[in-house]
Amino acid sequence: MNAGNRTAPIGRVVATEQKPSTPHQFYFWAAASAPVGIGAIVRVEADGHTVHAVVTDGAAYADLLSAMHEVLASDGDPAAPLPPSARAEIRLYLASVLRHEPPEPLQPVPLASVWLATDDDVKVALRMDGYCDGDRATGVPVGVYVAGGLEAPVLLDCDFLLGPEAAHLNISGVSGLATKTSAAQFLLSSIFQTFPSHKGSIAAVCFNVKGPDLCFLDQPAALGEDDRRLYERLGLSPEPFQGVHYYAPFKADGVNLNTLRTHPSLGDCTAPLVWGLREILDYAEVVMNRDDIDAKADAFIDFLAERVVGRTFQDELLRREPFEVQTFADLEQFFRAIFDFLEAVGRGGEVWRTHHVATIRKVRNRLGNISTRAKGLVTDDGASNDLPWGAFEDRSLHVLDVAGLDPLAQDLVFARVVSRLREHLERRDLGVDHVVVFVDELNKYAPSDGPDSYVRKMLLDLSERGRYLGLVLFSAQQFRSQVMRRVVGNAGTALFGRMDPDELATPGYGTLSAATRSKLAALPKGELMLRHPHFTQPVFVRFPRPAVLTGREGVTRFPPSPDLPFADAVVRQLRTLDQDISADAVRELIHGRREDDVRRALGATRRARPDDPLSYFRSVLGRRIQTETPAERRHVVRPVPMPEDPYL
Amino acid sequence: MFRAQCSQLRKSLAAEGLVAATAPPEAAGRLEDARVRPARLLEGTALQLRPVGAATPCSGSLAFLDGVQRSELVAYAGSSPLVVAEVAAAIRRREDRRLRTIAEERLLFVAGRAASLALAGGALGGIERHLIEDDGPAHPLRDLELARRLVDRIRGNLELAVYDRFRASHSDWLLVDGSLAASPALAADPRAVGLSKSHATLPFEGEDLDLYLRLPSGYRSSMFQPAGEQAPVVAWGLRLWPFEGRDLLHGFVRLEVAPSVATTAHADEISRWVLAERTPVSADARWDRLLYGIHSVEQYLKAGMR
Repeated sequence: MNAGNRTAPIGRVVATEQKPSTPHQFYFWAAASAPVGIGAIVRVEADGHTVHAVVTDGAAYADLLSAMHEVLASDGDPAAPLPPSARAEIRLYLASVLRHEPPEPLQPVPLASVWLATDDDVKVALRMDGYCDGDRATGVPVGVYVAGGLEAPVLLDCDFLLGPEAAHLNISGVSGLATKTSAAQFLLSSIFQTFPSHKGSIAAVCFNVKGPDLCFLDQPAALGEDDRRLYERLGLSPEPFQGVHYYAPFKADGVNLNTLRTHPSLGDCTAPLVWGLREILDYAEVVMNRDDIDAKADAFIDFLAERVVGRTFQDELLRREPFEVQTFADLEQFFRAIFDFLEAVGRGGEVWRTHHVATIRKVRNRLGNISTRAKGLVTDDGASNDLPWGAFEDRSLHVLDVAGLDPLAQDLVFARVVSRLREHLERRDLGVDHVVVFVDELNKYAPSDGPDSYVRKMLLDLSERGRYLGLVLFSAQQFRSQVMRRVVGNAGTALFGRMDPDELATPGYGTLSAATRSKLAALPKGELMLRHPHFTQPVFVRFPRPAVLTGREGVTRFPPSPDLPFADAVVRQLRTLDQDISADAVRELIHGRREDDVRRALGATRRARPDDPLSYFRSVLGRRIQTETPAERRHVVRPVPMPEDPYL
Repeated sequence: MFRAQCSQLRKSLAAEGLVAATAPPEAAGRLEDARVRPARLLEGTALQLRPVGAATPCSGSLAFLDGVQRSELVAYAGSSPLVVAEVAAAIRRREDRRLRTIAEERLLFVAGRAASLALAGGALGGIERHLIEDDGPAHPLRDLELARRLVDRIRGNLELAVYDRFRASHSDWLLVDGSLAASPALAADPRAVGLSKSHATLPFEGEDLDLYLRLPSGYRSSMFQPAGEQAPVVAWGLRLWPFEGRDLLHGFVRLEVAPSVATTAHADEISRWVLAERTPVSADARWDRLLYGIHSVEQYLKAGMR
């Protein structure tokens, strides 16, 4: 049956004492050949009362009293010829009501004919007529509802997806089959294309936490005819993202970027993500484990942040000249001075300015540890290179590739970026009105069990209050049951791809029928079950492949470049500022220089973005100091006197 | 204890050559009609049991005709009852193993004596009225029996009306539930087969009857012409299911065809395809004799009753 044959009913409502029609669900039978299945939207009409519903369960049975009769009739032979008459059988479906029209008085579903939904029916059934029409429509296409030859667009209400009424999106499904990342990419693309101007501006920040998943969002994919048709049906253009900005930390060498997006033909749009002591200190709580966080450590960190780091700190007892702590190296000097002082004091020298030496040592160890574990992200020279806070552009996409980072460093990046987004959105000075934050593997950041962490608390806060600010969380994970309930519970919209059967057996899916759960366990790629505040029942939608390269395709077409030697990597970094810089000039300039000095000069040049980067780089690098080779001192090493060995 | 004794007794009696039995199957016939009316043997000089061969479905399209009825006493006018009845008949035709209704008639009416119907006045509304014809005085029980017969007759007429409509446009084989002899048209139809589940009237007596009632499964009797039928037909008995350990009438049916087509080969062929109609087994207490196609018509008609 196709959309043109929808004038004939496909079934009739039936009600018995055991299976009555109620205001929220009803049964109907349909011919075996009727194109109706789990997830199909149907319409019942009787006497000015229209009911839209979605099929949630089905059953079939024949007029056979006992299976034994069938065995006896076939003489126990399954290969016996089929009987001349086929048994009468019933296809009985259970449908859950989506909408009554008129809504009052709310009555049981009438015993009437059942039709398959049309385009208009889908719109009414899902209450899309309330937000998809008019000058101030707020619909965002999420996919098409497919049944019996009909492909009807399904739109989400961006007031309920991106705030302020409700917000956040959560995607669940097994790896590789649920197309979670693809769904998020498609929906982001859809939002960027259709987010209404009267709602303001929007940008997105994505954390690439594994492999090359989000590394090629600006590269077009070859789409099939089916995908193109779906794009057309949804009124969207199958185009990759425009205005994509990539950020990645350095590798341990401080000059090669720690990302798989390093193929030369991709251009140099990946900016280094580098933070210094100040950026880290504000989020020290992230990098300290639960046992570390106590009032004493907290107080000392506050002292450092408020009195020492980035300021001139004078303490005659420690040393005569003031401290100017800008870097981890400066901080280490500062700690060294405290310890020297306390050691010099001797007995009674366990406390410096009310802070116990054990607390100071603990804080020093943890902070010092960061520069090791997050090498490449954290610089020792205090210089940082960050997202364009305050200058976010409308429809811009910022991808932070943290896949190569230590989990602790990933937490740090996530915490700091989200916190900064929040701060700017609160002050309304980010540059856009709404920001979507996409994070995969939510179960890692906001687990349902385990110790409470800074990141988890921050995610909870984001999920509970972010919608008022325009800060929206799009998250994904394999197992929703393993994510903190309040975080996923606050997601107004939820998508479910192919699900693990064990996961479906957890209580969170108890409201779904057995048939719906079975369908979820075998959902093909590109199909999702969707929950949205306007939809009183979950509906199934199909979405087209995102018009961008997948991570796997991307690394095949644009294989990552091998790490460059230090000098070549410096050349490449400088060439992101000026393509015409001579490689030989740079090599000559940095020859014999300490790598730390070169990195510092490079960082300064990158931040300053001068008109003549090479000259600037040269000036920051400073005059070459000829190294002096001390004269070799001749020593005669005398043998160590040994006691006489009676066994020699 | 009693059941165990019965079971033991059955085994002992079977060892003596008797046919062990449990209970007569449902719808084997009305007790008041139970009798023997010797038939005329048409095949051979003595009653024979003939294997019909392997079950083979009818090669062409096959249709099934049946009728149903129900009645209920609704009032007495004096001592005479008023009975409301609903009768229906239909033919369902099989195509690609699926049965579909192609002809159907339904009728709701009230049966009663003329005086009783007159007393009912306008209370019966537009319901059709049929008279119980009887010259004798009203008797509540006898009138009920007369009403039942009237309902039977009207249902039979409805079946014939459906048959006429069907035959006007279809030449398929038609398997009729019951005897063909009630209608000359049916009895003469060369592509009609009557199937009687009822054995109230038996065609033989003595040893022939014993032989007739002990037909093994997949066997038929010699053809015979039943006595006293309204229209001449040729009949034979056919065992659909083994009866041993159950009842003499278990799985036993009588088939009827028009005399013009009553050859040995034809009787064997029809027997083979009726055997094929044993499956699927109908969900009914009479499953041993109720062919699925007939059951399907019956279910269809009952489902549509008001």
